Amino acid sequence: MSAAPLAERLADLAVGLGANVQPGQIVAVSADIGLEEVVREVVAAAYQRGAKFVDVSYYDPHVKRARIQHAAYDTLDFVPRWYGDRAFALGESHAARVVIAGPSHPHALDGLDPDRLGRDPLPAVAEWMDVLADRTVNWTIVPYPTLAWAKQVHPELDDEAAFDTLCREIVHVCRLDEPDPDAAWRERVDELTDVGHRLDALALDALHYEGPGTDLTVGLLPSSSWIGAVSWTVDGLEHLPNVPTEEVFTTPDPARAEGRVRSTKPLVLVDGSIVRGLEVRFESGRAVEIDAEEGAELIRKRVARDVGASRLGEVALVDRESRIGQLGTVFYTTLLDENATSHVAFGSAYEEAVSEEDVSRANKSAIHIDFMVGGDDVEVTGITRDGKRIPVLRGGAWQI
Amino acid sequence: MTEADLSRLADLAVVVGANVQPGQIVGVTAELGHEDIVRAVAASAYSHGAKFVDVWYIDPLVKRARIEFAPDDSLEFVPSWYGHRILTLGEERGANILIRGLTVPNALEGLDPQRAGRDQLPRVKETNVIVNERTVNWTIVAYPTAAWARLVFPELDDDAALERLWEEVRHVSRLDEPDPLEAWEQRIDQLERAAEALNDADLDAVHFEGEGTDLTIGLLPSSIWKMARWATVANVRHLPNVPTEEVFTSPDPERVEGRVRSTKPLVLSDGTLVTGLEVRFEGGRAVEITADEGGEVLRGRTQIDDGAARLGEIALVDRESRIGQLGTVFYETLLDENAASHIALGSGFSFAVETDEDRARVNQSAVHIDFMIGANEVNVTGLSRDGERVPLLRDGVWQISAVPAA
Repeated sequence: MSAAPLAERLADLAVGLGANVQPGQIVAVSADIGLEEVVREVVAAAYQRGAKFVDVSYYDPHVKRARIQHAAYDTLDFVPRWYGDRAFALGESHAARVVIAGPSHPHALDGLDPDRLGRDPLPAVAEWMDVLADRTVNWTIVPYPTLAWAKQVHPELDDEAAFDTLCREIVHVCRLDEPDPDAAWRERVDELTDVGHRLDALALDALHYEGPGTDLTVGLLPSSSWIGAVSWTVDGLEHLPNVPTEEVFTTPDPARAEGRVRSTKPLVLVDGSIVRGLEVRFESGRAVEIDAEEGAELIRKRVARDVGASRLGEVALVDRESRIGQLGTVFYTTLLDENATSHVAFGSAYEEAVSEEDVSRANKSAIHIDFMVGGDDVEVTGITRDGKRIPVLRGGAWQI
Repeated sequence: MTEADLSRLADLAVVVGANVQPGQIVGVTAELGHEDIVRAVAASAYSHGAKFVDVWYIDPLVKRARIEFAPDDSLEFVPSWYGHRILTLGEERGANILIRGLTVPNALEGLDPQRAGRDQLPRVKETNVIVNERTVNWTIVAYPTAAWARLVFPELDDDAALERLWEEVRHVSRLDEPDPLEAWEQRIDQLERAAEALNDADLDAVHFEGEGTDLTIGLLPSSIWKMARWATVANVRHLPNVPTEEVFTSPDPERVEGRVRSTKPLVLSDGTLVTGLEVRFEGGRAVEITADEGGEVLRGRTQIDDGAARLGEIALVDRESRIGQLGTVFYETLLDENAASHIALGSGFSFAVETDEDRARVNQSAVHIDFMIGANEVNVTGLSRDGERVPLLRDGVWQISAVPAA
């Protein structure tokens, strides 16, 4: 089963609208093993745009499995220093980066000891957080369907139907079913930018989330501004970090989060392990209680990694116009699921969402873990500096 | 092929080949298509105490896309972190395991050979540094793949071809012995004695004579013959090639004269097949390179730098080689070079000479390309410093004393 023509179209989207690869750039490509088809198209497309070198890094979750099973416990958090050095060198060379999302071996880590699994941060490389914060790299993440992923998302269907359905869904949410996908994205990006401006105009001090199992207030920084979809590098290169993207987001005050929140979708960690039914209680910005139906220990381990890991680095709002949200599919892939509904993230913040005087207050961490907290039955209300409550999302629709 | 085959081959790489030590970082270089053995190697290395296994998967079709589409002035470029990774592995006294076994036949077919010749990846030139500094215990092992089996046994159907290739790789890797480690100890002892006898003969040059071949290769004053068990600076013994059947040294890159005809096809590191190779040397330099197939890509390689057209290695293989005995052409240097005596264009081994003066003379290059020139019909004769001719190999059999029959 192949999605070959789709590979070419997604590759064009990734190196064009997504990462906006420039002539002479080095392009780092990351993908799970099993995604070769689209990786090779990305490589070809990048070189055709004049890339100087495309450096492909394939991640094999079964090699990680071998590590978790057989390596000595005290070595499990070790990462060779050239992993970070590579990220820094890519930053210094003002490279581009394309990440392909889509698990090709979704069950590779099933049944492993969560305590051991939680110690190994790979394939996440902490230094990438610094490089992204420096905004030296124009980057994007795009999805690519695999049969194994399709079976995970649509277990009720037979193989062929599951794969066809996932392909169709990806085509739809990536707006590849539009006559001119680039133009369709420009339009959606403009809408999100406009929402960001309207949120900025409210000058909110905090957001209040209310829904089943959720009563959470997240404080914002004085200069927190809302960003929609588009990012710019220090060189002024425009890029879409996520394709698809449906969110507006900002950097919260890591010292001000209070209350409880219940995750509205399963979340998938970067190594492919799954956390379901996550519930978190925050006190003065810190996650002080973490429970889950499945995978709680994995989150607890990651959140214990550094001082910033248990605090929030992102709040993002997604309305019900999101094509992903409308599908109602749980994709078990953060790229898609986080663009289905409003979410917050543990760990590192995007410094570009605050002005210089607040940069030192933005949360710092080696991790960044998004989890979904929005839904049609979750009300989001803004609180202004003088205590006024302004409805932001009701029934998933913008109120501003 | 069974799970047991995989885990025995993985153990061969980890224990017999690289001799991975507890606490080491282990680099693994493999192609897409090698996943099964890579995962088994990772499991074995971790079980033997490795601190981290760093897998570098190479995709031959990513390289194809580069040759096909990349800007012309970018093809020699290699990002700094490729070399940095290798040098750091050396500083950390890591281990390295390379998996060989064709995954994509003719991956570069139809592309401009001139462009293909300029991209030296997946070879990283800093690898020569860690090899010469002996900071890393490393090995190369052969892993049978379907594509490789089809190439070697085109007359068999796919399943039979793969099973046959496994059978032969098991045999030449001595995995069909009850105790492969012990079997290798014995063969290494034989090779060690051959190397000693060659060193006792105190040769100035080696002369190869056969059909299409009349080649004299000068040695450096302190060239010493080595066999294929090495030790790192930390005194970790390892077998750089499994299987290995050769004794070798670094020649004088300035003194090679005559013509040589390759006795087996050779496969370049990017998969290009070179057949019917003939090379003429003058003053140590390859001044004429012709081939039935792949000559252009090879010529491109020999122009990468000054040393690429000179010899860095001369190796002798006797007819006791299990690979030579099979008579199979594997289209894979790791195996084919251990079937027959061979020479290599490009970088030499500075540890294969004894004086600083000679170390400065050992050939240097970013490439190292072995090709086979030996056969039972090719006589190999040593020339001693006083002009005496010493038969070394006749009909593939060692002629020098101190080498008992195997």
